Amino acid sequence: MSSGDNAHKRGETALKATHLVKRFKTGRSYIEVLKGVDFDAKHGDVTMVMGPSGSGKSTLVAALSGLLKPDEGKVSALEASDLWSLSNGKIDKFRLDHCGFIFQGFNLFPALSAKQQVMTALKYQGVGKGEQARRAQAALESVGLGARVNQRPSELSGGEKQRVAIARALAKNPNLIFADEPTSALDGENGQIVIRLLREAASVRGAAVICVTHDPRLEAYADRVIHIEDGRILDDVRRTPDADPAPFSH
Amino acid sequence: MSLALATLLYEWRRYMAAVVALAFSGLLVLAQVGIFVGIGKGFTAQIDRASADIMVLAPGAKALFSGPQGLPRRFIPLVYSHPEVTQVAPLDFSGGRFQNILTPEQQVKAQAAAKKGGKGGGPGGGTRKSEFVNLTVIDAIPGYVTVPTDYSPSMIEALRRPFAVAVDDTALKRLGVKKGDKALYNGKTVYVAVVTHGYPNIIQPMLVVSRDTLRMLGEADTGQRVGPLMVKISDPSRAEIVAAQLNKKGEGKFRAWTRQELADANASSMLDDQIIGIILGFSAFLGLLIGVIITWQTLRGAIMANIKEFASLRALGVSMGDLRNIVLELSFWVGIVGVLAAGLLTWVVSLVAAAGGVPMAFPPLLIVVVAIFLIVIAMLSGFLSLGVLKNSQPADLLR
Repeated sequence: MSSGDNAHKRGETALKATHLVKRFKTGRSYIEVLKGVDFDAKHGDVTMVMGPSGSGKSTLVAALSGLLKPDEGKVSALEASDLWSLSNGKIDKFRLDHCGFIFQGFNLFPALSAKQQVMTALKYQGVGKGEQARRAQAALESVGLGARVNQRPSELSGGEKQRVAIARALAKNPNLIFADEPTSALDGENGQIVIRLLREAASVRGAAVICVTHDPRLEAYADRVIHIEDGRILDDVRRTPDADPAPFSH
Repeated sequence: MSLALATLLYEWRRYMAAVVALAFSGLLVLAQVGIFVGIGKGFTAQIDRASADIMVLAPGAKALFSGPQGLPRRFIPLVYSHPEVTQVAPLDFSGGRFQNILTPEQQVKAQAAAKKGGKGGGPGGGTRKSEFVNLTVIDAIPGYVTVPTDYSPSMIEALRRPFAVAVDDTALKRLGVKKGDKALYNGKTVYVAVVTHGYPNIIQPMLVVSRDTLRMLGEADTGQRVGPLMVKISDPSRAEIVAAQLNKKGEGKFRAWTRQELADANASSMLDDQIIGIILGFSAFLGLLIGVIITWQTLRGAIMANIKEFASLRALGVSMGDLRNIVLELSFWVGIVGVLAAGLLTWVVSLVAAAGGVPMAFPPLLIVVVAIFLIVIAMLSGFLSLGVLKNSQPADLLR
């Protein structure tokens, strides 16, 4: 089970990857998308992975999070010393217990209300019905949607949908949160709300947040910014998040 | 509410094609069986509605018109000797050619129409009709064991007169007669004394006469053998017990059936018929094929439409097995809705058929079998659709 609050672990390494290589076949030739990437992320940090499209940043996140098996290299995450040596079922279980995902598309079921979306995710973790409802309500309130729990995605704005997706990811108290371009489909104001929520998840709960983006405005919220290009890490800068970042504008 | 059910209800338009396909598959089978059973009921309606609690048939008879029929006459007193039996009467059937008799005016009209080369008569129906009919008897005594319970005393009174026949209102046009008309039955003059309601038979018109009229027509069983026996007992609720006691008494020389037992056997005997069995088997197969293909493709499309959401569940760690269960649950609910839709559709069709004088009957067992059949179609389609879940690659969401 997820331990919920990991505030005490802040600063400890949550995720470490060494020499990740991933090739994709296009036609007859292979292209190497990751060319031996080393990566690590700590509890309580927002680690920003930035780079142009096609730089391999999404592939990196997929490999780190147990979604896409790298051709070479090793990922150790939390108690799993070699994630990719586990069976598929174990990897699913690992994600179920520890990982939250936020995608660019919100991927909410059109038939379900905001609360049901969150409850469905919890249901598969084996959470009881009453507890599901309680935690879903709390998660939605924490993203500022307390009043909209019974709305379906079609009745929500883009920003609200992304907040539901965040609530769905946060309700299970994950240790690792992967966000892929979480703000790129949103306007400035909503983008800011979303990144603040991710920032909070790291600072308050001690989760390791790994956020892929090419939005430079998000840098202000990061503890660490990694630039990646052509499957290689260009630079890795540790910084202090701005105390009061400038508001987004569009 | 589960994800599957919520999705089905919210996105019902997406699943409409599957539900409609299932409904029509169900209708295809139900309506045909309904018609065949209805046809069978047309032949036995008059007996089914008589007040007999027990019927005694020859041993080896599978239903009223299936297997050996007649019994030696001496069994009548044997059955009577049971203390609870109050009335015993043999059924008697006959059949022959029925012709209407035209008035001179109608004849002139018919000839004029024939000259013009037109088919059929003008309004008023003055054409010569000649049909083969089935004849069954009643004893023209109110409340007697052979008399259908919905016959009024005046109908029975009218049938008691010599050469009086009863015709159902659905057969009047076909026979070219109306109430009070004279007609020829096997060359002898009879007249339509009674018009019944609710005894349609789409294969052959049925005529009802009194036992005495049948004798006067020269067609009654007067020899050693008689038709099946209709038996009335003092306490109808004890029919099963008395039937069992009669069977013991008969020592295998006859078999006593309760009314319900025989009605069920009559309904299913129609389906035992080889040709009907082949027709039904084939249409059930067609229904299965069409149902599975359309339902499968619909489910596939609907799941593909939500594949990203499924993939996001995969990302959150929901196993493939759980996703399969969602799809199978969805198929199950589609099946349930399909069963309801098939029921509704069949009901409407049976109403239309009844209005057109085509009776349909649906034995409860048939309805259960068809319902299961439809759910099997839906589940089969669900299994076939599981393949699309392979497309729920959460890594694809990261592009």
